Amino acid sequence: MTERQPLRCDVLVIGGGAAGVAAAAELALAGLSVELAEQRDALGGAYHRQPAGRPTAVHARGRRQWSRLVDAFARAGIAPRLRHVFLGLDSDGLAMLDDRAEGRVLVVRPRALVIAVGAIERVLPRPGWQLPGVMTAGGLQMILKEGGSPPPGDILIAGNGPLTIALAADLARLGHPPVALIEAGDPFARPAAALRLAAYPGLVAEAAGHLARVFASPTPWLRGERLTAIEPRNGRLAATIRDRRGATRTLAADLIALHDGIRPNDFGLPANEESDIVVVRAGDCREALGIRAAIADGRHAARQVIALLTQGPSIADDDAVLRQRRAQAVLGDLFRPIDGADPLAALPDETILCRCEGRTFSELRAMLAEGELSPREIRLNGRFGMGLCQGRFCADNVLHLIAAARPGDPAEPPMRLARDRWPARPVSIAALAADDDEQRES
Amino acid sequence: MDGRGGKSVVVVGAGIVGAASAYFLAQSGFRVRLIEAKAPAAAASGAADGAVSVASKRPGPMMTTALAGIALYRQLDEEGLFAGLFKQRPTVMVAEDESEVESLTGHADALAGEGMALRRIEGEALRRYLPDVSSGVRLAIEVGNEGHAIGYEIVRRLIAASGVAVERDTTVHGLVESASGRSVAAVATSRGRVEADHFVIAAGGGSADLIGLSGIVRPRKGQLAVTERSPTLNAALPGALMSCRYLLSKDAIAGAAGTAARRFGLVVDPLRTGQFLIGGTREETADTGNDLAAIRHMLASAVRLLPPLARLRVIRVFSGVRSATRDGLPIIGRMPGRDNLVVATGFEGDGICLGPLVGQAVGRIVAGVPSELDLRPFAPDRFGQRSLVA
Amino acid sequence: MSGGHFLWGGKPITFETGESIAVAVAKAGVRDLSAGEGGLRRYFCGIGACQNCLVTIEGTLVEACLTPARDGLRVDAPEAGHD
Ligand SMILES: Cc1cc2nc3c(=O)[nH]c(=O)nc-3n(C[C@H](O)[C@H](O)[C@H](O)COP(=O)(O)OP(=O)(O)OC[C@H]3O[C@@H](n4cnc5c(N)ncnc54)[C@H](O)[C@@H]3O)c2cc1C
Ligand SMILES: Cc1cc2nc3c(=O)[nH]c(=O)nc-3n(C[C@H](O)[C@H](O)[C@H](O)COP(=O)(O)OP(=O)(O)OC[C@H]3O[C@@H](n4cnc5c(N)ncnc54)[C@H](O)[C@@H]3O)c2cc1C
Ligand code: FES
Repeated sequence: MTERQPLRCDVLVIGGGAAGVAAAAELALAGLSVELAEQRDALGGAYHRQPAGRPTAVHARGRRQWSRLVDAFARAGIAPRLRHVFLGLDSDGLAMLDDRAEGRVLVVRPRALVIAVGAIERVLPRPGWQLPGVMTAGGLQMILKEGGSPPPGDILIAGNGPLTIALAADLARLGHPPVALIEAGDPFARPAAALRLAAYPGLVAEAAGHLARVFASPTPWLRGERLTAIEPRNGRLAATIRDRRGATRTLAADLIALHDGIRPNDFGLPANEESDIVVVRAGDCREALGIRAAIADGRHAARQVIALLTQGPSIADDDAVLRQRRAQAVLGDLFRPIDGADPLAALPDETILCRCEGRTFSELRAMLAEGELSPREIRLNGRFGMGLCQGRFCADNVLHLIAAARPGDPAEPPMRLARDRWPARPVSIAALAADDDEQRES
Repeated sequence: MDGRGGKSVVVVGAGIVGAASAYFLAQSGFRVRLIEAKAPAAAASGAADGAVSVASKRPGPMMTTALAGIALYRQLDEEGLFAGLFKQRPTVMVAEDESEVESLTGHADALAGEGMALRRIEGEALRRYLPDVSSGVRLAIEVGNEGHAIGYEIVRRLIAASGVAVERDTTVHGLVESASGRSVAAVATSRGRVEADHFVIAAGGGSADLIGLSGIVRPRKGQLAVTERSPTLNAALPGALMSCRYLLSKDAIAGAAGTAARRFGLVVDPLRTGQFLIGGTREETADTGNDLAAIRHMLASAVRLLPPLARLRVIRVFSGVRSATRDGLPIIGRMPGRDNLVVATGFEGDGICLGPLVGQAVGRIVAGVPSELDLRPFAPDRFGQRSLVA
Repeated sequence: MSGGHFLWGGKPITFETGESIAVAVAKAGVRDLSAGEGGLRRYFCGIGACQNCLVTIEGTLVEACLTPARDGLRVDAPEAGHD
């Protein structure tokens, strides 16, 4: 065999966001050898990813905290492996990193793995959500952060939760306020939750800053309303908006940003009990609690790894993380949609459910009518969760619809639909095969 | 419905063999209960390549049976039962060096001797026929009239057409003898006893324990990889590309099982979807992990044979466990000493191809109708174990 | 800030250093990344998760949102029917 030897280290950290960087710095400080892999060409993750020199919406305290973290990371002497996409752990306990710059798969044999690959956004399916020009709020924020300015055209933001306000504020600050900000909830109608939010002054200050910017812009914040459908019209997008009384109207835009919350990006990841390797998840990919929790959770994961590797006593939950969990619950109440009806129940049959394979609601409904198919059978035969995104944008919705069709059944966790096998992301055959000795006779 | 309307059958296992048995039994008027430990196609039938093929077989009972298996696929496709599920395509066996050319030529002669439709393609014609394969390929033998089917799709279609409701999440723990001791009265399941007039054990790797064949049937794992779509490359490949090293790999196993922990065969199958299925390994284990070394080696061999594959991405890898018997032949027939018990298991890497045919044969055995197939080579009593049911 | 040009379907697109192909193309006003009408290639999540933004670079498929723009790169829509 002429295979290259796997790279050895104590801990391999996946993800160069706040949680991963915090974990890596802490682990290195404790004297462990640490490798960090990040799929992009820079550290920062969902929150701190703007290139140096770009204007940033992140408040000064957040920026200072991040720069301290990056300094600690640099002092620890860790050279991050950028443009390395984590593919998973194989059955021999080897971690695979798709090195995009070199076009080969780097193999690492760590003693422990910290997975901090962040969250993905929840986006409710709506007719037309697959059209060009429709993207997630995070996708649009990525363009702003990385590109420093918005794409041309009128922008409409719709969905649910506080992150859409941050995006609208960013756009306003860049002189490009959205035509409207559509919000399914109405925080003004939830005074009890608003009162409880007062216990989190940091969040209140951040939210107030974003809101002030939105209110100072021409953008209307339309609360208690939903974007229910998108159609192409005259080279633009026509969005149907339904208000809390059920009246609909149409808004035109060139780009539409959708966002209905975030959830851990825990697809295709190894389970903790799968191998001899210690596997710990950190940050949003463990529990989507936002940037404040991510740093604390990264450090907590590091302490947990150290305890597990040294068979030390187990580590108590982190107070900061617990606090952010309570804060997120309050935010959830504050933004609870005004229309309590299941948004998936009434969608027209031809609505796309699986973006990858173009599978529709009617196809799933037909399968559900067939009887007690298990999620695995629905995945295999219906091809839901079988496409390139591996279920990231359909698994929750498909399982929700299965559960709705079978009241009384215990809810299936989403992973019963998605897979926990590598590769966690599609990987080029050339890269995967690169290190095999092709001449070897089998 | 005919005179059997009143008779009941319990079929254990909803893989392709159990599903096909249930379908044909229901067709001929039996009341069927299909009992499954997990869910349909939960085991080998849901984790297989799906070559419906004899190309790699030697003349003998398996070849004869596989030819009949393919003919049934074609028939059920025409009749509509398998409509849209059976992709007809040839298998293209290729040889690279002198020794491979020699062994492939010998193999082709043997297939031709059985009256199979073959084409020998070399030189310029070979480059036109397989524009994308490596220039190292010197000989191709096209074996016509073959195809591909996806196990879990066939299982689903058969069950839907049978009208039988699968009893899921119900494990059969054992057989309950009748008072006479000559037949089976019931199966003991995790949800209680189920009585019937007839019993069919089609539980794949779970069969051996139920009928006392544990030493005779062994697990043999296979790993496979699936690529994303590539319509152009897919369309340019006339059929499944099979390295004739695959033949050698199969040989080695039949000759001396267990001499090596694993062997590689190479088949690149262009799927209906535009994707490619690349397989596979034969490993003497029941664990179901996927290891990088095996997948990497398979992919590297595939790229060597079909270089444009290097541009595609792998989206999934998976593994399944075949049930292999000591002599390489399946076990199909009535259990000695048990009048109303039929077993069908041990299909190793051929159960997708044979499943519908075996289900049809099981239906006939249960009904007491003479089979058109010669099942004697597969008789359960051939291992010389007299009291198979404990 | 420095940057350069790459070719999207033969058409030059300007980018600044630090931008991915997806961001540069979006800023240039391109929304549909499919080869033909009705394809499913487009920018959506921005983090490599949705796989909707696949493009080909020198024959290889990559996510436009994860691939840094480089001067002189030739970037094309994947063949129709890939999705
Ligand atoms: C649209 C949006 C807006 C937000 N706005 C706010 C806000 O205003 N305030 C707030 O407090 N929080 C906000 N958040 C949440 C905040 O960004 C996260 O809580 C925080 O970034 C979590 O940090 P993390 O390290 O866990 O994950 P991330 O910051 O997401 O980092 C994960 C890292 O892992 C990398 N990665 C992913 N998969 C792989 C892989 N397979 N291989 C290698 N690397 C990989 C990613 O590229 C990323 O760099 C927002 C999130 C989103 C999505
Ligand atoms: C990697 C791989 C590649 C293959 N490629 C091909 C190919 O190209 N062509 C081909 O023809 N064949 C192929 N095969 C072989 C084929 O998949 C099998 O021969 C076939 O699926 C066997 O079907 P079965 O119904 O006998 O068993 P299974 O599909 O294993 O079904 C048995 C069922 O019984 C259930 N069960 C088990 N024990 C119990 C119990 N005690 N109580 C209740 N239920 C129970 C199981 O849950 C399972 O659902 C391949 C197999 C593998 C693993
Ligand atoms: S936009 Fe989702 S993967 Fe690139």
